[in-house]
Amino acid sequence: MTESTHQSKQFDEELSGLRTHVLEMGGLVESQIRSAIDVYVTSETAIVKDIVENDHRVNAYEKIIDDETVHVVARRQPTASDLRLVMGITKIVTDLERIGDEAKKIAKGARRVYEHGQLTLPRVTEIRHVADEAVLMLRRGLDAFARLDVQLASEVIHADAKVDTEFKALVRQLITYMMEDPRTISTAIDIVWICRSIERIGDHAKNIAEHVIYIAEGRDVRHTKETSA
Amino acid sequence: MQKENTPQLKAQAREFNFFYGPVQALKNINMPIYDKKVTALIGPSGCGKSTYLRSFNRMHDLYPGNRYEGEIRFYPDNTNLLSPEVDPIEVRMRVGMVFQKPNPFPKTIYENVAYGLRVRGEKNRRVLDDKVEQALKGAAIWDEVKDRLQDLAPNLSGGQQQRLCIARALATDPELLLFDEPTSALDPIATGAIEELVHELKQRVTILIVTHNMQQAARVSDYTAYMYLGEMIEFGKTDDIFIKPQDKRTEDYITGRMG
Amino acid sequence: MQAMDTQQTRALIARGKLKDTLFAALGIICLGIGLLVIFALVADMVIKGSERLNLDFFMNFASRRAAQAGILSAWVGSLLVMLVTAAAAVPLGVAAGLYLEEYARRNLITEIIEINITNLAAVPSIVYGLLALGIFVYTFGFGQSILSAGLTLALLILPIVIVATREAIRAIPAMIREGSMAVGATRWQTCRYHIVPYAMPGILTGVIIGMARAIGETAPIITIGALTFIAFLPPAPLTTMNDGATAGLFDWVMSPFTVMPIQIFNWTSRPDPAFEVNAAAAGFVLMAMVLTMNGVAIWLRYRLRKNIKW
Repeated sequence: MTESTHQSKQFDEELSGLRTHVLEMGGLVESQIRSAIDVYVTSETAIVKDIVENDHRVNAYEKIIDDETVHVVARRQPTASDLRLVMGITKIVTDLERIGDEAKKIAKGARRVYEHGQLTLPRVTEIRHVADEAVLMLRRGLDAFARLDVQLASEVIHADAKVDTEFKALVRQLITYMMEDPRTISTAIDIVWICRSIERIGDHAKNIAEHVIYIAEGRDVRHTKETSA
Repeated sequence: MQKENTPQLKAQAREFNFFYGPVQALKNINMPIYDKKVTALIGPSGCGKSTYLRSFNRMHDLYPGNRYEGEIRFYPDNTNLLSPEVDPIEVRMRVGMVFQKPNPFPKTIYENVAYGLRVRGEKNRRVLDDKVEQALKGAAIWDEVKDRLQDLAPNLSGGQQQRLCIARALATDPELLLFDEPTSALDPIATGAIEELVHELKQRVTILIVTHNMQQAARVSDYTAYMYLGEMIEFGKTDDIFIKPQDKRTEDYITGRMG
Repeated sequence: MQAMDTQQTRALIARGKLKDTLFAALGIICLGIGLLVIFALVADMVIKGSERLNLDFFMNFASRRAAQAGILSAWVGSLLVMLVTAAAAVPLGVAAGLYLEEYARRNLITEIIEINITNLAAVPSIVYGLLALGIFVYTFGFGQSILSAGLTLALLILPIVIVATREAIRAIPAMIREGSMAVGATRWQTCRYHIVPYAMPGILTGVIIGMARAIGETAPIITIGALTFIAFLPPAPLTTMNDGATAGLFDWVMSPFTVMPIQIFNWTSRPDPAFEVNAAAAGFVLMAMVLTMNGVAIWLRYRLRKNIKW
C-alpha cells in the first residue's frame, strides 16, 4: 500500500494527509481517555474542564477528515486499496469520535463521584487496570492502522473479550457493594457508568481493528468469528 | 444478500495465443465470457485488449500475416470461433461489433441499419422496415431519427452516430456484441447515453467492451479482466476487481500507481 | 535584459517573415508565367481562327479549299473514339484497381505488377501505337477503325485509370471497410455497396483526366492508320448505308475515321497559309473540348463527394 506511489503525487499527498490526521485524532482521543481515567484515580476534578474543551478538538478533527474523504472521493474516484482506505477511514473516524465522547462521559462521571462528597465505598482500583487494557487496545488498533498490520489488528479484536469479562466482574463487585450498603448505590451507579464507557471504548477499538483488516485485505470480519486469513 | 448463481457461459478463451507475423501479441489467454453479462477489458495502451476483442469476430483475418493459436469456444453450440474450418463471415454474422470512432456508412440512416439484413439477402420491404425500427429502438435512437430515416447518417451528431452503429449491429440479432472503446470519441453526455444503452442491451445480448476509462468499466460491467503486455492478469467480478483485486499489478493499474 | 530579448525575438521574426514574403512573390511570378503562356496560346488561336469559328466549320467535311473545309468528321471521330476508349478503359481499370487494392495479397508478384503499372504510364504513346498496329489492326483484324483507335487509347489511359482507382479506394477509411465486414459482408458485398460507390468520384475524375489526355493524342492514332482526309461519317446505327444495307448497332466501330489532332496536323502541314487559320480554329475547339472535360470532372467530383463523408 505504501511501497509504490501514485502517478499523481498530489493524490499521494492527499491520502497520506488523511492518514496523518486520523493518527493525530487517535492520539488526541487516547490522551483524552488517559486524562479522564486520571480524574477518577487521582480525584483531580479540575482537569474535567480541559477534557470537555478538548472534545471539541476531537469533533473538529472528525469534520476535517470527513471533508477530506469527500474531497478525495469526488476528485480522485479512489479504487481498490485506495477505496478501502478512504471508506475505512470514514468509519474509523466515527469510532474515534465516539471514544472521545466516552472519555468525556468518564471525566464527568468521575467528577460526579467526587462531588457527592467523599467516597463511601472502597476505591475500585481494578478500573485502572481495565482502562489500561482498553487504551492499549486503542493504541494498538491505531498502530495496526498506521502499518496496516493485520496480525496486530486480530490481536486487538481478541483482546476485547478480556475487557468485556473484566467489565462484568467489576459490575458484579459493585452490585455486591450496593447490596451490602444501599447508601453507596448512587456512587456505585456512577462508577458502573464509568466502567460501561471503558467497555464501550474497547468495543470501538475492536471496530477500528476490524476496519484495518478491511482496508488491508478487503475482508469484512465484522459480526463473524473469522479474524485472520 | 443472496448468493448469486454462476451464469451460463457464452464463450470461453482457452490457451489462446495471437501473433502479428512473428510478434506474439496475446499470450495464453484463458477467460470465460458469461451469457447476457457485460465483460470489460481494461489495461494500459498496447496491452492487447483490442487485439483480443477483435479476435472474437475474426477481424484479424482481414489483414495478412496474423495467426491464432488455441481456441475461443462459443456456446451453446461449442463452435471454435478461431478454427480455420469456421468461416470468418459466419463468425461475424453471430458476433456484432461497434468501433472506437463512430463509422456510419455515407448512406441514409435507414440504409445503414438495413445493411446487415441486405447482406443476408433480405429483400422484403416490410421485414426490412420492421427490423430497422426494432434495431433503432433497441439502440435508443428511434425517437430522434424516426422522421428522417432518409437523411444521411454522417450528418448526425457523434453520439447519435455511435448509437446508429449500435443499431446497425443489433439489426441482425447478434449473440455477442463487441465494443471497442465506444465512447472515446464522445462527450460525457453522449458517453452516458451509450453506457445506459449498454446496461439495457445486456437483457438480450452478451457484451464484451474494451475501455480506457476504468470508471466506465466499473460503471457498466459485471465482470472485468485486466490485461497487461498481452497477458490476462486477472479476471473477476467487477466489484471484486475494483474493491479488492488479488494481483498486485491489477491493484497498481486500477489505483493509478503505474507510470 | 528583458527588453533586449524582446527586440531580438522581433528581429528574428522579421527576418523569417521577409523570407515568407520573398517566396510568396517568387511563387506568384512562376504561376504568372504558366498562366501567361496558356493565355497567349489560347488568345493566339482565337485571334487567328476567329473568322472560321462558325456553324459551317462544325458541319462541313474536310475540303481542298480552306474556306469550305470543316471539322465534322474530326469531332465526330474524336467523340466516337473516346466512347470506345471509355467503354474499354473504365471497366478494365476499375476492376484491376479494385483487385489490387481489395483482393490481391501483398507479395512479390503484386509488387512487380504495381511497378509495371506505374511504368506503363510513362511509356511513350507512339509505342502504344506500334503495339496496337500489330495486335488490334493485324492480329485481331480490327483494321484501321474506330475500334482499334479506341482500344489503343484505352490502353494508353489504363494506367491512369488504375492509379486513380487505387488512390480513390485508399482514401476510403479502413473503418468503413471494417464496419461493412463486421456485419458479415463478403469482400464483394463490401466492394459493391461501399468501396466502388465511395471511390466513384475519384475514379471518374481519373477517367476524365485520362480521356482529356487521350483526346489530344496524335502519334498512336497515326500509327494505326487513321485517315487524314475523310468526307463521310461512320454509319449511324440502324440507318441505310450507301450500298442500301441497313447499318448494324455497332457497325460504326469498324468504320475508318479521323480525329481532331490529325485534322489539325494535316492542315498545318499544307503549304496554303489559309489552312493555318483552320488549324488555329480547330485547335481552339480541341482546347475547348479538353477544358470542358476537365470542367465536367471537377463538377462531377464536387457533386458526388457532397454526400460522401466520414
